[in-house]
Amino acid sequence: MLFFLLSGVVCLLVWVLNLGLGSVAIPFTELVSRILGNEFSKSSWEIIFLEYRLPKSLTAILVGVALSASGLQMQTFFRNPLAGPFVLGISSGAGLGVAIWLMAGAVIGSLIPGMFGNAWMLFLAATAGSMAVLLLMSLAAWRVRDSMSLLIIGLMFGSLAAAIIAVISYFSQAEQLKLFTVWSMGSLGSTGWDQLMVFLVAILIGFSPAMYLAKSYNAMLLGENYAQSMGVNISRLRWIMIISTGILTGCATAFCGPIAFIGIAVPHIARMLLKTGDHRLLFPGSVILGAIVMLLCDTISQLPGSAQTLPINAVTSLFGAPVVIWLILRRNFSKEF
Amino acid sequence: MKKPAALIGKNLSLGYRKGKQIHEVASGVSFELEAGELTCLLGPNGVGKSTLLRTIMGVLPPLAGELRINGKEINDYSKGELSKNLSVVLTDRLQVGNLKAEDLVSLGRIPHTGWMGRLGKNDLAQINVAISATKTEYLRNFPVHELSDGQLQKVMIARALAQDGEILLLDEPTAHLDLVNRYEIMFLLRQIARKANKAILVVTHDLEIALESADKLLLMPCGQPIISGFPEDLVIQGKLDTLLPNGKLHFHKKTGKIKPLTSNPPLDISGPGEIVPWVIAALEKSNLIINDDIIQIRLEADPFRAIVVINGVQLGCESIQQLIIQLQNSISPK
Repeated sequence: MLFFLLSGVVCLLVWVLNLGLGSVAIPFTELVSRILGNEFSKSSWEIIFLEYRLPKSLTAILVGVALSASGLQMQTFFRNPLAGPFVLGISSGAGLGVAIWLMAGAVIGSLIPGMFGNAWMLFLAATAGSMAVLLLMSLAAWRVRDSMSLLIIGLMFGSLAAAIIAVISYFSQAEQLKLFTVWSMGSLGSTGWDQLMVFLVAILIGFSPAMYLAKSYNAMLLGENYAQSMGVNISRLRWIMIISTGILTGCATAFCGPIAFIGIAVPHIARMLLKTGDHRLLFPGSVILGAIVMLLCDTISQLPGSAQTLPINAVTSLFGAPVVIWLILRRNFSKEF
Repeated sequence: MKKPAALIGKNLSLGYRKGKQIHEVASGVSFELEAGELTCLLGPNGVGKSTLLRTIMGVLPPLAGELRINGKEINDYSKGELSKNLSVVLTDRLQVGNLKAEDLVSLGRIPHTGWMGRLGKNDLAQINVAISATKTEYLRNFPVHELSDGQLQKVMIARALAQDGEILLLDEPTAHLDLVNRYEIMFLLRQIARKANKAILVVTHDLEIALESADKLLLMPCGQPIISGFPEDLVIQGKLDTLLPNGKLHFHKKTGKIKPLTSNPPLDISGPGEIVPWVIAALEKSNLIINDDIIQIRLEADPFRAIVVINGVQLGCESIQQLIIQLQNSISPK
């Protein structure tokens, strides 16, 4: 309980910090009074706040929620501490969709003026890509019964998507290639209010079955056979896991590009801090921690005080990779997981 | 009328269906499991013990025949219902991370709780009963990954008990355990069967421990129907030899051990009763080929002394090792 209270307060603080810091610093007292309904003393702050900082910070929160919730589900379902949203190939599928649109689709786009470069089209392409991989994974899940095989198939789908992206990149023009590279570095700033609403609804749809199945995920800690002996319908759980993580990862990737390491690192931190394997606590815990970590990463990527920004994906990797290495060195991974 | 047995299998055909292909592993499998009894299932590897277990667990539907749990056909059970009647301890490797032993036991209540998995008064009571029945109170707050194999097995049994079915299936619960733990687990299981009136089926390869602890044995020999009965009856009827089909080994009734079939003529050995079998065991192991030599061995205890008379020559030995060496040197090669 104390954990949730504390992390809630920390989350709020980090959120305000994230809103305040950037190329232009807004004083905290002003921010708090704005949130409480008063007006800023400078009108330029209002635009920065409403049009840029607020949607960006909300996006960061949603991405953190989506990625850590799907990472936790995958790690438990596949009983593999290294599983994450990237492993099932969903992120790669989204990447493939975007690559096809940005690079190969440029030809089609030039036929219909105004269509190319539209953020909505980008989102649709990414969603289509992730859903395509999701569909293939579902077919595979229907055919192969054990989780390890499914995990390997997911990895192979990922490699396959990466290979196709490489081929497309090789034949595409420099300008399109740059667009794609920028997308693949990830960005939280390109979501407007309309997109944010879609994002929020998608995450609610994706997350609620996970919370509802917390008990089944607890049973899965003992493995499929034990879970089955406790009356858990494994094939149903598998389907729901695939759909839930597909929606969560798919929309996060579509809006913000592939964000690395949040999905794999945050559930481990939650396990460590909460010292439990109970998913009824781990789900909310991971979600709050995911939001905190994403907000922090975004704040760092703004390089407070300067006009430059770092790609968010670089920051999450800089944070995530050492965390994963540290976790592995610190504890007996295979035993304690 | 007598209550029907907790688990009844009649003329079961076990195996896998893949598309239209049917792969039958065992057929004509019939057995009964009574509440309040510990039953051990013995059989060579690959005879279909695991398939039988998976069938009883409801994972594999039987290809043919009847399988009744508490009088009701297994196919008529829903998954949730079945999990309230039957719980298992498997050989699967665990990877439960930060769970404490008590949390692991309380996972057994999953079939009984609502969607949030909240433990009610009755659930907590059942967990306590399970923990005290397995004598694991002192482990309650231990993280699972810190438990020894023997402790973990007891906690897993507690989890199965907390699930509160009438039937308990255990797949080789004593594998990887040391001798003391093996006996402890098996006697614990028998005690639970009696006290909690559970029907417990243990698949095991530990013939000696099964003989000592089980109320009934089920023998599953290759290509033959299951033989069931009291362990002692099966010993007397020589049925245990059906598990040793290749003719090189047999179950020695007197010692209760599996021994190679030997054609040596019986030796003339006399001495205190607790020493003679050990000398015989050592002689059998040493592979001495005794031909026409006339050998007499007299044994004395405290201190050990063996007087051997070989073809009229008398020798004294202070240990079994010396005795074997003397015999190896003295027996005339042919």
